[in-house]
Amino acid sequence: MAYASVIGSTAVIRGNVSGDSSLQILGRVEGDVGVTGDIALGPDAVVVGTVSGARIVIAGSVEGDVTASEALLISETGKIVGDLAAPRIGMSEGALVRGSVRTEGGGSSNSARGRAPASRSVEADEERSRPVVARPAPRPVANLAPASSAAASSGTASSNVAKPALKRPPPPPVIQAPRAGARARKRMLKR
Amino acid sequence: MAGSVVGAGLIVEGEFTTDEDVLVEGTLRGTLTSAESVSIGGDGVVEADLRAQSVVVAGQLTGNVSASSRVDIQAGGRLIGDVKAGRFTIADGASFRGNVDMDV
Repeated sequence: MAYASVIGSTAVIRGNVSGDSSLQILGRVEGDVGVTGDIALGPDAVVVGTVSGARIVIAGSVEGDVTASEALLISETGKIVGDLAAPRIGMSEGALVRGSVRTEGGGSSNSARGRAPASRSVEADEERSRPVVARPAPRPVANLAPASSAAASSGTASSNVAKPALKRPPPPPVIQAPRAGARARKRMLKR
Repeated sequence: MAGSVVGAGLIVEGEFTTDEDVLVEGTLRGTLTSAESVSIGGDGVVEADLRAQSVVVAGQLTGNVSASSRVDIQAGGRLIGDVKAGRFTIADGASFRGNVDMDV
């Protein structure tokens, strides 16, 4: 499948990637990736930050939460340290995952709200979240996206699933990517 | 085939560094450094300081450009910023405002 956008294998982005495109990542992104289209991470790709998209295929590694509004597939070379959320999640043998996994609601809060919040699903949520609450050590990875994890928990606000979120330390502040050359540009525009 | 493509609709904010070609059809803000060429397509918007071997601007570029080889602004292209390059062309119909340093 052809992707409208490609982050090449030698590319390094320190900052955020967003928009309405499908995206193939072969290089490294240190920041949050959030697009409305599909995302594919190649075997050598590294993302340190959250990843969200429609259909996500991960063959590389992610340190951060991954949220798909349609489906999430983790290949055998995939490695994720962070929480996963998608209506459908597939995990190949060999894939490494550390974090909570939720196959419901999808990424955005709208898709969660779109489903009728049946009492059955609330029970299922509570059951599923129990091992997360009992998790002994805090996750070693810095949670780079308080916004998206907040969105994930607010998606099921009707139930009391927010428990695991309370156990977590408050997320660190989002640090804006540096806008190098901003001063020079401002000076230039003044002229 | 370009090494990296910032497709239409995509927004990249921050520091972008690569050893391969870059094609920008979307939006890029921050800095962009490539060991090869950088092309800004007709709908591409770049607000960044740009460093590359060669740069082709068919869209909009706001920021200072430093190219080890050349900078070309194509018809319809728009560049606001200083240009440092050995070769520099501005096509008929292109817009440019800034200083030029051609290493003379």
